[in-house]
Amino acid sequence: MNKKFCDDLRRSLLYGVKDIGREIVGAGRKSDRLRKSEFWALHDISFSISQGQSVGLIGSNGAGKSTLLRIISGLIKPDAGTVKVKGRVAPLIALGAGFNPILTGRENVFVNMAILGLKKEEIKKKFDEVIDFSELEHALDMPVQTYSSGMAARLGFSCAIFTHPEILLIDEVLAVGDLRFRAKCYRKLAELKKLNTTFIMVSHSPQSILSICDVGMYLKKGQLMGFGATTDIMNQYEADLSKLDLRLVNSADGKPKEKYSNFKIEKIFFEDAEHAEVVYPSTGRPGNLTVSVESDKEYDNLNIQIAISDASLYGERTLFFNNAIDDFTISVKKGFNRISLRFPYLGLNPGLYTLKVSIYQDELHLLDTIEAFNFVVKSDFPARQSLFFQSREWLVSQK
Amino acid sequence: MNTMEEVVYTSKSELKHPLKLIRNMFSDLLSCRDLTMSLLMRDINAKYRQSVLGYLWACLPALVTALTFTLANRSKTITFEATDIPYPAFVIFSMVIWQTFVESINGPVQTIADSKVMLAKINFKREALIIAKFLEVWFSFFIKAIMLVAVFIYFNIHVHWTIILAPIALSMLILLGILIGLFLSPFSLLYKDISYGLSIFINFFLFVTPVIFPKPTTGTFATIVNWNPITHVVEAIRKLVLGPEGFDFTPFFVTSGVTLCLVFIAWLTFRLAMPFAIERVTS
Repeated sequence: MNKKFCDDLRRSLLYGVKDIGREIVGAGRKSDRLRKSEFWALHDISFSISQGQSVGLIGSNGAGKSTLLRIISGLIKPDAGTVKVKGRVAPLIALGAGFNPILTGRENVFVNMAILGLKKEEIKKKFDEVIDFSELEHALDMPVQTYSSGMAARLGFSCAIFTHPEILLIDEVLAVGDLRFRAKCYRKLAELKKLNTTFIMVSHSPQSILSICDVGMYLKKGQLMGFGATTDIMNQYEADLSKLDLRLVNSADGKPKEKYSNFKIEKIFFEDAEHAEVVYPSTGRPGNLTVSVESDKEYDNLNIQIAISDASLYGERTLFFNNAIDDFTISVKKGFNRISLRFPYLGLNPGLYTLKVSIYQDELHLLDTIEAFNFVVKSDFPARQSLFFQSREWLVSQK
Repeated sequence: MNTMEEVVYTSKSELKHPLKLIRNMFSDLLSCRDLTMSLLMRDINAKYRQSVLGYLWACLPALVTALTFTLANRSKTITFEATDIPYPAFVIFSMVIWQTFVESINGPVQTIADSKVMLAKINFKREALIIAKFLEVWFSFFIKAIMLVAVFIYFNIHVHWTIILAPIALSMLILLGILIGLFLSPFSLLYKDISYGLSIFINFFLFVTPVIFPKPTTGTFATIVNWNPITHVVEAIRKLVLGPEGFDFTPFFVTSGVTLCLVFIAWLTFRLAMPFAIERVTS
C-alpha cells in the first residue's frame, strides 16, 4: 500500500482539486506515480494484523505513523494498494474533537460518542461508566470551556474508550492527563486487550509500547523497516537511533557545519562508573557525560551549557546544566580536552532524549554548539511507574 | 463478533462500483439519524446559549433589512412598483424566505469549516453534518414564521388555503441552497476563495431575485430576473401563501426537478471529494 504527500501548499491544493475531478468522473488518478513536489509518505507497506493483536508503531517524526493510522481509519484513501479492515474502528487520536466549549460536559459526551458511531440508546447505557471513569461528576453540568485541558482530555479519553470498538487506534494520546489518570488509562487498555480488542498504537515511549504491544512495527521515512516481536523491533529501532547519534556528532568534520571558531566539540558520549564508553546510559546507575573538545588555544574561563529534553513527548526540557551556575571554573589547554559531568546515579527514565550542548567563552562568545545529540536511556529494572529515578535505601528500625 | 463488517479501501474511484456506492450512500443516510439529531441539538444549543437575544437573532436580519428598504421606499430614495400586500409586510416576508435560502447555502460550507478538526481525525458519516444543517435551517425558519404570523395579523393580510403546500416549495428552496453549499464545501476546505466569494455571489443574487422588489414585468432586468431559477421558487412560495391565481407554476416545477437531480449529484460529489479535501488540509 502506498500513500504520497506534497510538500508545496499551492501545488498540493491544486492536486487536491485535480484528484477530486478525476474521482468524480471515475477516471484513473494515475496515483501510483509521483507528480512534482510529491514524495511517498508511505511506500510499499504491507502487513496484516489479526484480531486481538496489539501493534506498536514506532518511528521518528514524519515516518508516516499517523498517516498509516488515518488510512486504516478510512479518513484518507491510499494511492495504491488495498486496505481491508474488519470491525469497527475507533480512533483515540483527537480526544474531544468536536467538543463544543459552550456546551456542558454531559451534552458533549452525547455528541462525541455519537460522532464515534454509537446510537443514542447505547450512549445512555454507557453514560454512567464514562463519567465514572473520567471522574468528572462534579463538573458534568459545567461548560467544557471551563475545564482544564487535562479534564477535557480525560472526558475525551473516556468517551473514546467506552465505545468499545473492535479496533482501537491510539496516537500519542496517552501523554495527556496526570500521571494517575494515565496509569488508569493503561489499566483500561489492558482490560480491553483481554476482551480481544485489536490495538494499533503510536508512541515514542519505548516503555509503553513494550508493556502493551505484542507486535512492533518500525516505520522509517515511509518504509516498513521491521515487523515482528516488540522487543526485536525495539532493538532494531534503538540500534538505528544510536547510529544516528554518531552521525550527528561526527557532523562537525563531515557535513558542512556552521563554524563559530577554531574551537570544536569533537564528541559527546556516556561513560559508566569504570570510565568505559557506553552507548546506552542506564537509569539509576552512576556514570559520566563527557564532552570531548579540540581547542585551538588555552582558555581559562569556559562556560558550558547542557540541555537535555525528552524527545518522546513534547520536547519538554528535563535537565539543564551550566557550570557557571554551579560555580565551577573550566579551563582547557590547547589540543584535546575532556569535560565530564559526573553523576552518582542517572535520574533519567528510560526513553529517547535530545541533548544540546553549547560552549561559550566568558559566557558571551559562542565557541561551538551541538544542536541535537540523541541518546537512549535504558533500564535494567522496571522504572516506568516513576517520573524520574530517586536514589534510595530501605531501612527498618524499632523504636 | 462474527458479524463484523469488512471494509476495503483502495485507490480506485468508488464510482467503479456504482450500485454498491449508491447502496452505501442510502444505508449511511439511514444509519446516521442519531448522529444527525445530536449534531442538530449541539448546534442549536451552542448557537443561542451564548447570546442574550437568543432566538430573536433568527428574525433580526429580516426586520432590519425590511426597515431599511421601507424607509428608503417612503422617502422615495428608491421606488418600487406597487406590491400586492403593504410594502413593509412584503419585504419582511420576502426577506425571511431569502434569509432561509442564504442559510441553506452557507450551512454546508460553514459546518464543514467548523468541523475541520473532527473531520480530519474521525471517520464518521459526514452526511450527518449536512442533514443537521438542513434541519437547523428549518428550525430557524419556524422561529421566523412566528414573527411572520404577527406581521400578517398586524397588516391584516389574508392567506390562501394553498399555504399548506408552501412547505413543499420552501423545501425546494432550502434544497437548492443546500445543493450549492454541498457542491462547494469540499472545495472550501481547500481554497478560502470559496467562502470569500460566496458572500459576493449571494449579494448579487439578492438583487436579481424579487425579494426587496416585486417581480418586474418589462425590460432587460425582467429577463435577467426571469432567468434566475431562484426567482421562480421564491415567487412560488409567495403565491402559495397569498393566492396563486394566474401564477404559472411551470418554471417552478422545472427548477424543482432539476434541483432534486442535482441534490443527488451534489451528495455524490461531496462523498467522493471529502477524503481528498481532508487529506490536503490537515495533518
